[in-house]
Parts: sequence; C-alpha cells; structure tokens
Amino acid sequence: MQILDELNKDIDKLSLDLGGFIKQNVVDFRKKGVLLGVSGGIDSAVALTLSVQELGAENVYGLLLPEKESAPSSTPLGAEICESLGVQYEEVPISPILESLDIYNKKDQVIKRACPEYDPEVHKTSLVLPDFLDGGLINVPYIKLAKDGEVIAQHRLKASDYLELIGLQGVKQRSRMIVQYMYAEKMNYAVCGTTNKTEMVLGQFVKYGDGGVDIEPLADCYKTQVYALAKHLDVNEAIRERPPSPDTWSHYTSDQDFYWRMPMHTIDQLLYAQEHKLPLDVVRENTGLPEEKIVRAQKHFDVVKKNTEYIRAVAPVFTLNGNH
Amino acid sequence: MEQIRNDIIYFLKSQSFMDSDTQFAENESLTKAGIIDSIGLLELLDHISERYSIEIPEDMLTPDNLDSLQGITNLIVKLKTERS
Repeated sequence: MQILDELNKDIDKLSLDLGGFIKQNVVDFRKKGVLLGVSGGIDSAVALTLSVQELGAENVYGLLLPEKESAPSSTPLGAEICESLGVQYEEVPISPILESLDIYNKKDQVIKRACPEYDPEVHKTSLVLPDFLDGGLINVPYIKLAKDGEVIAQHRLKASDYLELIGLQGVKQRSRMIVQYMYAEKMNYAVCGTTNKTEMVLGQFVKYGDGGVDIEPLADCYKTQVYALAKHLDVNEAIRERPPSPDTWSHYTSDQDFYWRMPMHTIDQLLYAQEHKLPLDVVRENTGLPEEKIVRAQKHFDVVKKNTEYIRAVAPVFTLNGNH
Repeated sequence: MEQIRNDIIYFLKSQSFMDSDTQFAENESLTKAGIIDSIGLLELLDHISERYSIEIPEDMLTPDNLDSLQGITNLIVKLKTERS
C-alpha cells in the first residue's frame, strides 16, 4: 500500500464534495456567500478557488490582512489569486490593531531578553524547534536571529518568555478573525476557514484566531491532499511552490521549521498511518524511517493531540441535568 | 543524588505535569509518557538553572540528559561538580 497514492487519489471527486460542503453550509446557515482571509498561502488559495467554483465569484469576498512582519510576497500573491478568480477583495492591514496593543514592542522586549544582541532595526526573527527525526536535541523552542537573510544566532527561551510570545503572536490571527467577522456580518456571509487536517489534529492553529470561523472545508484533508487539490484546481504555481508557513515571523518560518519538525509528506504519512492503524512494516516501507523513529513520532503525536485537545474543544458547558 | 531526584519529582508534581500518585521508572521517557511537553521542558530547564545555579549548555540539551529522571539527575550532578 502506498500512503501518498491514497492521499492523492480521487482528487476530482474530493474537490466536488468540498464544493458541495461549502454550498450546503452557506444554505444551512442562511448566508449569502463566503468570506475568506486570503494569505497568499496554499490553504486559502484552495478554499477560495473551491468557493468560487461552487458559489460563483460574485458570492465570495477576499480579505488580505497583512501586518508588518508578513512576507513581502504574501499580499501580491493573495491579490493575484483574487483577481484571477474575479473575486472582489480588500486589503486591511492589521498592523494598526497590533500597534494599538503594543504587540511589536512587547515582542521585541521578549526577544531582547532571550537574545541580548537583538536589534529590531537590523535583525529579523523566527521561532523554531529542532528537527524531530534528527532526535539529537530535546523539544525546546529557539529564537533565531537573521541578518541579510542569514541566520546569525539562536537562543533558547525561558518558559515565561515563550508563553508570552505565543500569546502575543496569537493576537495576529485573532485580529484577523475580528476583521473577517466585521466584514462577513455586514455582508451576511459565512467566514470560511482554511485549517487543514495536519494542522487540526496537532492543534496547529489559534483558538478564536484562524480557528474562529463558520465552516472548515479543508479540516479533514491532510496538507498533502491540499497540495493535490491546488494542482487539480490549477492554483498559481508561485503559491504552490512557496514553503507553507503561518507567516507571523519577520524571518520566514516554515511549518516544517516550527510545527511539523519533519518534511510534509513524512508527517502526513505518519499521521495517516496512525489514523488507519497501519502496521509498522507498511509505515517503514512508505516513509523509509526505522521503526524506532516511527514509534517515537507516533508517541509524540499522541502527546501533542492530548495536549492540544483544549484548542479543538468547544468550551464545555455545564448542563443542569447533570450531563456535561 | 536522591535529594536531586526527589526535588525533580516534586517539581514535576507541583507543576501539574503528573498526578501525585504517578509512578515511573528511572529511565522512563518523560516526553513519551506524556508527563512533560515543550513548555514543561522549558519550565524544567528554568527550574534546574535557578534551583542549582547552573547553566545547561546547548549541546547538553539532549534526550539522554533530559528525557528521564536518571538523565536529569546525572546532568545536574555533573554540572554542579564542574562548577565547583
């Protein structure tokens, strides 16, 4: 059995089914269309294209929501796909929201504590974790400083600084959610999310940020399937070739650098194998990894899934009849 | 060594990383057992640095040194010895 073949099969049918899902939910929610945050990344490009195919460009609205630390290519790529699909869109920079909460200064202060040589005028920054499959170092995050595109230093964070940074960074996605709903409610549109299954099962999204949406068409599709959909839907090659990233650090940080800690196809094959309880020899044959690393990765996924349950959870409700 | 070991267990329990009645072997992996995650590891490193006045060099942040009670205890003893 070839896992990647399984993930890449029946993409035309998947595309139609996803379109049907979007339309059905728009109808069920009694909305007039969908609104998406268009990041210039592959997930939003696929969700946007599916929405346009199913609802028509006139019932889809795009928001480009850049901030000071977004990659310079993000906004042009987002604008380009909206224009190529005939989707109306607007650019609403969220930097003023972040500045009003002093997010950038607070972030600089945290980074400065970890990296005394940090100069915001000179250095770009990213947050990374060691490669998982290498296994040489434990799972603690580092701030990397880059100058002229080259990484010149990396420093470990204190726990309190790491937690503060996560909270500060989350304001970016949460600000985007606020703007999206401001527009969606005015237009009576549903907000369409772009989280994929690789992110969903590992809790790699911000609760009430990019997770704050009305529908999630891609959340049962692994990232590999999103790429297959992008190819099938003929999404711009520049978007397809761009390394996937949350795009929230000034030094471009890919999902592989921080979230996955291994190549996309490897993590998707391991997650798929775990989901379908595939035997170890099949996983080994597919991934080329030794058994020890497969077992270690799958135990790691178990821990991550457990630790991120609260991110996926709807707030538990105490019910008066005692069921909760 | 016993004192260091007990201190680490007390820290893990007091930080809600594990139930008070959880038992685990000296060489059991804290991460694989789900006792500690990346935030927990950072908190543990901060605790070790503050409690024992030692800095853990980056190249010592390995699973052998930090993923088991035995490894952590040995690492602290080694760094304390080097410091004195």
